[in-house]
Amino acid sequence: MDGDWEEVNRLPLPPSGEHAVPTPVTTLAFDNSHELLWAGNEYGRVTSFYGTELTQYTSFKAGEDPVRQILLHDRGVIALCSRSIHMAMRRGPPIWHIANDEMKDLRCMSFTSKGTSEILLAGLQDTMFIIDIEKGTVSKQIPAADHYTIMKRSRHICAATKTGAVNILDSTTFNVIKTWNAHSSLINDMDAQHDFIVTCGYSLRQGQSYMLDPLVNVFDLKNMISLPPVPFPAGGAYVRMHPRMSTTSIVVSQLGQIHIVDLMNVNTSNVRQANVLSYLSMVEIAPSGEAIALADAEFNIHLWGSPNRIRFAELSNPVDFAEPEDDHIALDWSVDTPLSSIGLPYYREQLLSAWPSHMIVEVGAPPSEIDPQYLATMKATEWGGYGRNRRNKKRNQVENTRTAEKAPTSLQAPKFLSEKARESANDTSTEKKI
Amino acid sequence: TQMSELSREVENGRLFRLMAKLGTINERPEYEGDRNWSENGERYMLKLFRDYVFHQVDADGRPVIDLGHILTCLNKLDAGIDEKVSLTSRDEQTTFVVTYRELKKQVMAAFAELQKPSKGR
Repeated sequence: MDGDWEEVNRLPLPPSGEHAVPTPVTTLAFDNSHELLWAGNEYGRVTSFYGTELTQYTSFKAGEDPVRQILLHDRGVIALCSRSIHMAMRRGPPIWHIANDEMKDLRCMSFTSKGTSEILLAGLQDTMFIIDIEKGTVSKQIPAADHYTIMKRSRHICAATKTGAVNILDSTTFNVIKTWNAHSSLINDMDAQHDFIVTCGYSLRQGQSYMLDPLVNVFDLKNMISLPPVPFPAGGAYVRMHPRMSTTSIVVSQLGQIHIVDLMNVNTSNVRQANVLSYLSMVEIAPSGEAIALADAEFNIHLWGSPNRIRFAELSNPVDFAEPEDDHIALDWSVDTPLSSIGLPYYREQLLSAWPSHMIVEVGAPPSEIDPQYLATMKATEWGGYGRNRRNKKRNQVENTRTAEKAPTSLQAPKFLSEKARESANDTSTEKKI
Repeated sequence: TQMSELSREVENGRLFRLMAKLGTINERPEYEGDRNWSENGERYMLKLFRDYVFHQVDADGRPVIDLGHILTCLNKLDAGIDEKVSLTSRDEQTTFVVTYRELKKQVMAAFAELQKPSKGR
């Protein structure tokens, strides 16, 4: 982090309704290919913010439970809620949604050895799920060796348990390769990159209160050994590895003290203070390493970076915005206005208005009759009559009025004189034969 | 002349058939409880599009009745062009950016579903 880093922007997470109270950010993620910051709230809603101005871009509902984690994919955004997982395009429309009875309290997910075509889901439950991203289906359910709260993937999948340990899972078989006891009671935050795992956590002090450990624990994945911890007297709450400087980590205290430390040379650190009035609830770093986002307990998102160079993604694609509606000529809503005043845009495919040719349309059937008994019980008003629906038919049920009309055959139509004559002639002819 | 009279009316049938399709799929009570039409389902954008076309309001919230807007939107939907449009839910919580092509695809899928004899949900 350079000398000119500062708070570039701050905005409150939008509340879940016009008159609703603001809710905390439950998860944050920087996009890896667009200038977007993604945030989840307690009600399963995911909202994206564009650029350093943090202009609200899209927003969609991913599920009914708190959003636990957001992963970015080429095709869209994957949002994990406690009991479901949802994938949507960055523009908002859903791609797939999976809910399963065995999904009880999911907390974390990670891409597997198959690049970005598969993810592993886990949580405070005994089952883990493997999801095929292209198909949007559960491809496998496997028993979990432990209950997991955080997952990060580097060389292996690193999964933090709720008891302060980190299980290192093989990213193909998902077997536990090694368990590293990082903190004595629980892990508050973890990151893994290249060859390192870094963690912040709690221990139980004097047997009664949980305190953040005044150090960041470090594990070397290449040699599978723990390294000397990095001292952090203020109490390490959140930690992220710098995405481009492979041995640099950023450690943040609950009250916003930021240290930038080189794991190989822990004595030189760069210190900053974020202006937070309450305590921080989350920290995330952009894939470019040029921005960090901090979420506080007063529902704000703080964006930090160098005002001149701040950007989120290493290589950014342009964000798709709606095109402004073209100015059309003002049309008069009268019978004389031809509907052809505004032409069709250029097209090559079949139009949506094309009506299927196999549908047989029957016209000219008489209207269905209204039950005379029903008419008799109706209350008449100046605009018509109303009464209770007599439930012998469905609402708007179609009736075949043609067959209904043929039914009364007892009544015979009068005959023309000529017809009578022909009939009698026929009668006589048969009589003659006998 | 007859030709000019005719040209005034040529679009009517096409637009009516389009409106008939939209009318048959919108707000059917049997969709109640169908996840596709719920807030995280794929058909939700059709509800938002109906509001976008027909329920425009001005800055004070008064209805704006603009035949030109309706015709423009319906024509773009009919052709299914790649232009993107921003759709917002009534509670202003959900915002999508979708193309007319995507909307057309959803209408076609929803209409095809109605034509199936019985789906047996």
